[in-house]
Amino acid sequence: MTQKTTAPKARGIRQTMSDLHIWAGLLAGWLLYAMFLTGTTAYFRDEISQWMRPELPAQHQVPDAGATAQRVVDTLQQEAPSSPQWSFTLPDARNNVVSAFWRIPNIQGRRGFQSAIFDPASGEKLHARDTNGGDFFYRFHFNFYYIPVLWGRWLAGLCAMFMLVAIISGVITHKKIFIDFFTFRWGKGQRSWLDAHNMLSVFGLPFHLMITYSGLVTLMLLYMPWGGDAAFKTPAQRQAALAQMSAFRQPARPTGESAPLASIADIVREGQQHWGPDGVGQVIIANPGDAAARVTLVQNRAERVSISPHTMVFDGVTGKLDSVRDSASAAAETRGVLYGLHLGNFADVVTRWLYFLVSLAGTAMVGTGLVLWTVKRRAKLPDPQRPHFGFRLVERLNITAIGGLSIAMTVFLWANRLLPVDAAHRAAGEIDIFFIAWGASLLHAVLRPAKRAWVEQLWCAAALLALTPVLNALTTSRPLWKSIAQGDWVFAGLELTLLALAAAHAWLAIRTMRHKPKPARKPARRAQPGAEGHAQEQVTA
Amino acid sequence: MKHIVIFCLSALGFLCLALAMQRHQEDLFGKELARKPTLLLRMAGWAALLAALAAAVETMGLSLGLVSYSGHLSAGAAVVALSLVARERLAGRAR
Repeated sequence: MTQKTTAPKARGIRQTMSDLHIWAGLLAGWLLYAMFLTGTTAYFRDEISQWMRPELPAQHQVPDAGATAQRVVDTLQQEAPSSPQWSFTLPDARNNVVSAFWRIPNIQGRRGFQSAIFDPASGEKLHARDTNGGDFFYRFHFNFYYIPVLWGRWLAGLCAMFMLVAIISGVITHKKIFIDFFTFRWGKGQRSWLDAHNMLSVFGLPFHLMITYSGLVTLMLLYMPWGGDAAFKTPAQRQAALAQMSAFRQPARPTGESAPLASIADIVREGQQHWGPDGVGQVIIANPGDAAARVTLVQNRAERVSISPHTMVFDGVTGKLDSVRDSASAAAETRGVLYGLHLGNFADVVTRWLYFLVSLAGTAMVGTGLVLWTVKRRAKLPDPQRPHFGFRLVERLNITAIGGLSIAMTVFLWANRLLPVDAAHRAAGEIDIFFIAWGASLLHAVLRPAKRAWVEQLWCAAALLALTPVLNALTTSRPLWKSIAQGDWVFAGLELTLLALAAAHAWLAIRTMRHKPKPARKPARRAQPGAEGHAQEQVTA
Repeated sequence: MKHIVIFCLSALGFLCLALAMQRHQEDLFGKELARKPTLLLRMAGWAALLAALAAAVETMGLSLGLVSYSGHLSAGAAVVALSLVARERLAGRAR
């Protein structure tokens, strides 16, 4: 290819797309990497939560739903008797606690809710260490932290749009997508990075497209409310539209006349007869203790792909079935399916692992893309020893975004084990430590030479990951060998995965350590045959 | 069980498709294959991928089957590509 020497000609679509891909990818890349990695762990968020509450014994059998619901309601009657609405999820095969939230009377908005976690066996508030568990990573991947939730969601949506742009422009740029399908050239510097980036992208392409697009759909009502606003004029119409998408209702006005609540155990059992033994996922009770009480059962999300709610509504005083809804409108069902695909709640164990692995490949795709930006430019620097500011900035942010995040996420698990069990604001403390670790990695990346910083942070992450099972063995009574012997695959699986990740980090550290940058080549040789699509990028970018 | 079948079919499909490609034929056999075996390999590859799709939808229903299938496709392609890389590295070392 001789673009370098020929006179500038009109820029082709591929070249335009290539620029778009490079800059959209770089600008959103650091946040996208964090969204991808924390989102990946969210496929095992219930398992991570279980690991972070080691006081709760491993759940070998899901407790009886009816009895559990009744116990929780008995506690709520003590805890929040005047609340107009209680809501709680029942334990299932992956989750061993009851998470409940309820309205505080006479306070509107987000502050008007209180939440707690209950032990299904006793129905009492849980006596385990206070932690956000795997929910922290899950929330972080679309809300971020320390910034208002709405800003976070807009930021996440913006990044997802950039991702969509990067995927599509990336496919157009890489015209040899099928010829290079299985091609990986080992030990060829930039060529190898590019091959790895392509492979990671192409193999997971259906998944990456699905996860990006469905991710946008999950928050579509926030990003594009106008269609709904235009179509539904009155508040009643809007309520009806929302009702297609969510099981949550504004509770009706209480009558003021008190009446005892019907047996929740019986109501839940009727739900089980309709949906099957694991069918009831959530119980919502409006106006408990009032004559106008209503009990709504929501079907467990693990039972089907779509999350459009299937509900059964009961009279809360007589316990009689009022109405059943086992379908939603086509539009709501489409959204429900896309939403459900993104969450993967329905997936069996194998499919869940596939989600996890392909999503990890997506993380690596973003990571290799970020590294590629620097690899490609380093050779062309006028003086590789003293790169210009922009290059240094990208380089340091890459180290923090990739190496630093692995460290911070592992440190989060360490904080869970090391903070005193009854410390005040313990859950928030774990999160603060996560960000302190991440900030420290940024400082380290700025202060050290780039290559040293990569190697040190990768080794640090590998050591922390590898030692987590040791830490767990020292601080809890559930060491890895015991978990394996007892078939406790939540604990064993998580710790074995951490060991595998430790090995991956160590391997990357060794590769980086051994890497010797080639002496700068002559510009004329840089554009090689077989790399034309990207040789064009080199010339223009 | 169903997952093992779907995975093996996808991996087999991608292996056939890879073997139908000139570059990998040269790597593995040292020469380009004739047109007919190449065509047969390509057809067998696509047939195996379609069979995996059928198996996924048949055992898990349309929506779950499609999701699971796309996961197995990624995994199958990755395994084939990594084995090709590993083979090339080992062959290079032996030489």
